[in-house]
Amino acid sequence: MREMIDYISLAIGHGLLAFALFKLVMREDLDVDPAIQTLKDKAEAEREASSVAGRNARRRQQAQSEPAPGAQPVQR
Amino acid sequence: MSQPPALSQYSGSAQTMLDLVFIAFIGYILLLGLRRPFLWVLLYVYIDILAPQRIGYSLITQVPVSLIAFGAAFCGWLLLDRKEGARFSLRQGLMLALLLYCWWTLQGAVYVEEASTKWDWVWKAFLFAIFLPLTVTTRARIEALALTLVLSVATIVIGTGMKTVLGGGGYENLKFFVNDNSGIYESSTLATVAIALIPVILWFTRYGTIFRPHWMVTAFACALIFASLLIPVGTEARTGLLCIAALGVLALRYTQRRILFIACAGLLGLIALPFLPQSYYDRMATIAQPGGDESASTRMQVWEWTIDYASEHPFGGGFDSYRANSFTYVMPVREEAGNTTTVEYREVTDEARAFHSAIFELLGEQGYPGLMIWLFLHGLGVWQMERLYRRWRGRIEEGEAWIAPLAGALQIASLIYLVGACFQGIAYQPVMLMIVGLQIGLYSYVTRLESARREIEQEVTLSPGEKRRRERAAQIAGQSGQSATDTDAVTA
Repeated sequence: MREMIDYISLAIGHGLLAFALFKLVMREDLDVDPAIQTLKDKAEAEREASSVAGRNARRRQQAQSEPAPGAQPVQR
Repeated sequence: MSQPPALSQYSGSAQTMLDLVFIAFIGYILLLGLRRPFLWVLLYVYIDILAPQRIGYSLITQVPVSLIAFGAAFCGWLLLDRKEGARFSLRQGLMLALLLYCWWTLQGAVYVEEASTKWDWVWKAFLFAIFLPLTVTTRARIEALALTLVLSVATIVIGTGMKTVLGGGGYENLKFFVNDNSGIYESSTLATVAIALIPVILWFTRYGTIFRPHWMVTAFACALIFASLLIPVGTEARTGLLCIAALGVLALRYTQRRILFIACAGLLGLIALPFLPQSYYDRMATIAQPGGDESASTRMQVWEWTIDYASEHPFGGGFDSYRANSFTYVMPVREEAGNTTTVEYREVTDEARAFHSAIFELLGEQGYPGLMIWLFLHGLGVWQMERLYRRWRGRIEEGEAWIAPLAGALQIASLIYLVGACFQGIAYQPVMLMIVGLQIGLYSYVTRLESARREIEQEVTLSPGEKRRRERAAQIAGQSGQSATDTDAVTA
């Protein structure tokens, strides 16, 4: 009986561990934490958006996308 | 007292089969670790707690599985891990300081051979505990480590609980997988660790992401908690009963309906009473009457001796310095003959009685400096978990709600360990040092989370003038760096 109980408990513990570790292998967030990564990306985006270089880049982009004042629309 | 060999309790073919299963399991994790090397860290945790090499009989005892797992864990981290967020914390520094101090006291140890034997496992436990937080850098890793700790201990607890229910318990009678009173396979230590992990088990029923909250998870957790509560019953370890009492008191803080909780706990206790064996009552009765039990009465003597010893050796006597003690005292010895019980007072001489307390173990072995470092290490852990709990409680967002309950659970684990450690020499218990590693990992992770948040808030609240100044400063720093590089190149 005692031997049987030992086998059962070993099987339960190892079975659950094996399953848990298999699930972990599939998870990207084991190595890269999504919460911290998101916050970092957000901080970087904020920094980029508020920097002089960022503002200039935005202006350039706007200028390229908007037609110059007085320019004639292209006839096709 | 001679102990039976590890698993002579199993038959020959079963032993070989068991060995093969263990080796296959270790091989499986080693293989999985090729994709995620962090799993090798978990493999070491599993091996260190369960010690399959000591459960097994032939094949596995020949393979240095512990060394392989540690080598894989360390090399995997060093060569393959991103190491993002890995930082050396104050508590790791305290462990390193205690480790170095232990090494220093080892040089002047009174009992060199015995001290070396203890040092052999103590330094490994400390080294791994110092290394562990460097690897625990994401939420998934924190959870994975907690789950591995719980399931490894559960493997022992489930069997012990089942044996207790089926009537195979009793102090020094209950058979574990390994019966040499070492590591976690010592009844009081197992009781303390099992009770300490109950709040962590409960945490998994609400916040787990590996096994998501589900009625099956809750049912398993309830069964596991029941088995954990049975450990002090099965092993008749008195310290376990104190740990259960401590858990009950500490749980009150996290319970909304306290009166109902107290009533339910009392009712459960009353229901459990008729199922407890008489031997359990007899042993627990000695808690209040330490004079009637040799193990308890010598404790007081050893503690007094240790205080005197520490006043003579304030820097400690090295590992196993308790071997220097010897006491002669008179104690009542009961003898039953038929219906009459006679109590005779006899002179008893005890030599080399163990410390029976982590606090006195440190005081005797490492002196006052060692004790101070150890108390600071654990006190700081309790404080850090409290800080996290207060700061993060009441959050409902999925990404944040888990933090405060886990901090609370790990704080209770620490406090229960400290209660148990008052009556057992478990100052360097590897499982507890792993829980310390988990606490450090959680604290560092949340600190990173907070600092990333602060960074965003600063970006949003910074005035345009301040931002311009910062950019200019960065440009100047960049230019001076560039000119310095140019000068170096010209000089070369």
